[in-house]
Amino acid sequence: MTPDRADHRDLIAASFCQSLRPLLVLGGDGAIAAASEGAGWLLGWRAAELAGVRLEDLVVPADVLRNCRGDAPCGATGLLQVQMRTAPGDLVPVEIRCSRFEQGGSRHCLLFLTDLRQRGHEDELRAVRLAKLSLLNQVSEALYGAHLSLEQILQAVLICVTAGEGLRFNRAFLLLIDETQEVLRGELAIGPGDREEAWRIWSDLAGERADLFAMMTTYDRSVKQTDTAVNAIVARMGVPLAETTHLLVRTMATRQAVRAGLSTPGPGVEAVLGWLGCAEFAVAPLTTRSGPLGVIIADNAFSRTPISDLDLEFLQMFANQSAAAIENSRLYGELERRLIDLRKAHQKQREDQETLMRMERLSVMGETSAVVAHELRNPLVAIGGFARALVRSMGQDDPNRQFAAIITEEVARMERIIHDLLDFIRPLKQTRETVVVDDLVRETVGRYLKRLEEKAISLDWDLGSGGAAVRCHPGEIQQVLENYLVNAMQAAGDGGFVTVATRALEGGVRVSVADNGPGFAPDLADKLFSPFFSTKPTGSGLGLTICAQIVKSHGGVTEAVNRPGGGAEFAFILPLPKDDEEAGPGAGVTTGNGL
Amino acid sequence: MSKVLIVDDEPHLRLLYETELRRAGYETLTAGTAAQGLEYVQTMKPDLVILDIRMPGMDGIEALQHILDRDNRVPVILNTAFSSYRDNYLTWAADAYVTKSADVTQLVEAVREVLDSRLASRS
Repeated sequence: MTPDRADHRDLIAASFCQSLRPLLVLGGDGAIAAASEGAGWLLGWRAAELAGVRLEDLVVPADVLRNCRGDAPCGATGLLQVQMRTAPGDLVPVEIRCSRFEQGGSRHCLLFLTDLRQRGHEDELRAVRLAKLSLLNQVSEALYGAHLSLEQILQAVLICVTAGEGLRFNRAFLLLIDETQEVLRGELAIGPGDREEAWRIWSDLAGERADLFAMMTTYDRSVKQTDTAVNAIVARMGVPLAETTHLLVRTMATRQAVRAGLSTPGPGVEAVLGWLGCAEFAVAPLTTRSGPLGVIIADNAFSRTPISDLDLEFLQMFANQSAAAIENSRLYGELERRLIDLRKAHQKQREDQETLMRMERLSVMGETSAVVAHELRNPLVAIGGFARALVRSMGQDDPNRQFAAIITEEVARMERIIHDLLDFIRPLKQTRETVVVDDLVRETVGRYLKRLEEKAISLDWDLGSGGAAVRCHPGEIQQVLENYLVNAMQAAGDGGFVTVATRALEGGVRVSVADNGPGFAPDLADKLFSPFFSTKPTGSGLGLTICAQIVKSHGGVTEAVNRPGGGAEFAFILPLPKDDEEAGPGAGVTTGNGL
Repeated sequence: MSKVLIVDDEPHLRLLYETELRRAGYETLTAGTAAQGLEYVQTMKPDLVILDIRMPGMDGIEALQHILDRDNRVPVILNTAFSSYRDNYLTWAADAYVTKSADVTQLVEAVREVLDSRLASRS
């Protein structure tokens, strides 16, 4: 035997002897060859004194293990439950397991003893552990499975900490790091307000035997109204993160749940005990991979049950689960917000693109129309010009003269359409002046006084915009007004009435021209300003379209209504200039050339 | 009798303007291109030129510049299908700007007005 192997054997022998597990080795003669420290403890002997004692002297009933010896099979298989006699003479329930082995040419038997009195306590602990693990699993499923809002998750977390089916603390307080990232602040709390209430709630809950899921969903109606007192407490809780030595802040840094009471030293303990008004509490950090979220504080203020290691262990495990769920919910919320933003941006982009395409199409159409219109002008001049010459050269009674006259009229109509079309397409000039609306109306309508008189149309002035001024291209606005006026004169007919009115509105000025003509069919109201729509046999249908375009380019709107007393009223509203648009006189310069 | 030169690439329009102006009592001559028009201005000494703007080759605006470069210049009426040339300052030097229309009276009246004011300024 080498010295090494001898050392090794000594080591094993020493380990055996020192073991706190109750172990016995039987020799071939059925006497105890060696006993561990644990066996000595169990049987009340000093371990060394057990050597040489016969096993059957220690076991009751003695015959159970009579044949159990190293050199022969004892006939017992598996586990044996017996009573063993201790040195003071007591009987202890013990479970024995045999294991045979050979050593140095002789057979031995190793006996594992289990104190059955201990077994009961261990089983109970194991059962509690299992129940709580199963609970954690349930909670985890509830937190992840159901689509809960952040608020609901926070409530569920506190319910689990306090529920009888859960961690069984009396009260739970949740503190989260606020959005400034500077303060740990009380957020939510659950628990009874005083001892009486605690008893009532616990007995109610025991009667209902609600499971955790049901409690999480029925929380609102069952417990919430009683939480005013604890929520008043939680509202007072707040610790600046800069106080790194404060117990709550420190707990987040160490990521380890702690228990603290009146005798616990260190900053922060007294403050928390003061808030809670009790002698002991537990703190568990809520931490995620991205950093700390806050802490859960739990206590047994009413039952005064001491907080055990197991309670602390589960509070920590539960806090980890909760932190992950809270983080998840926050990320989910963030994701949802970004998705909405993205959707909005996408929608806007699509709309912009559609607008752009529509404008492009219109622009191409406009250019094409302009080219075609111009190309048509020359042949029309020739056709119409010669038709006029024919009309002139024919006698009054020549039957063909009427036909030539028709050509003349139709060509004139085509030229009018082209003229309107080219005016419509031509971009409007952007030089604007500050103009007093009433002055512009007075001047423009003034040019028609003679024609109104010729047709015996009476004109009513109703200028009431009180000197309001707008930024506009006066020539264009005059064109709109003239168009309205000519339409009104046609509608009113000889001997009719036309009223020109102005009114100051909030943020704008309204100019209207009304007549006492037949008005228009109500279903046409929407079409009046559409291109190529006309109620007149000779109209091009572009007059009002151009008006609408001009008014729109000034940021205004056009209106057409039938008056209650008969006749139509056409109006436009121009916006008053915003403060930054105000320009001095003469700022707008119109260019042009005379004939 | 005043002599009016009509410059237009469209033969039918030349015929129409010739007919109407003669009826109104003017002597006329016509050119189908701006180049020929400029030559006639020099050789035929017209009292007034009616210039189309859009023509193949030299256009009316360029022809107008050539006419303006000469001393003792002849009055010019721009007669075009395009109202948009009014915004081109090069056209402002013309004595009148008429948009083409089947109703030639506008053109004839413009001829009379320009010739009258020319006579008035000479006397």
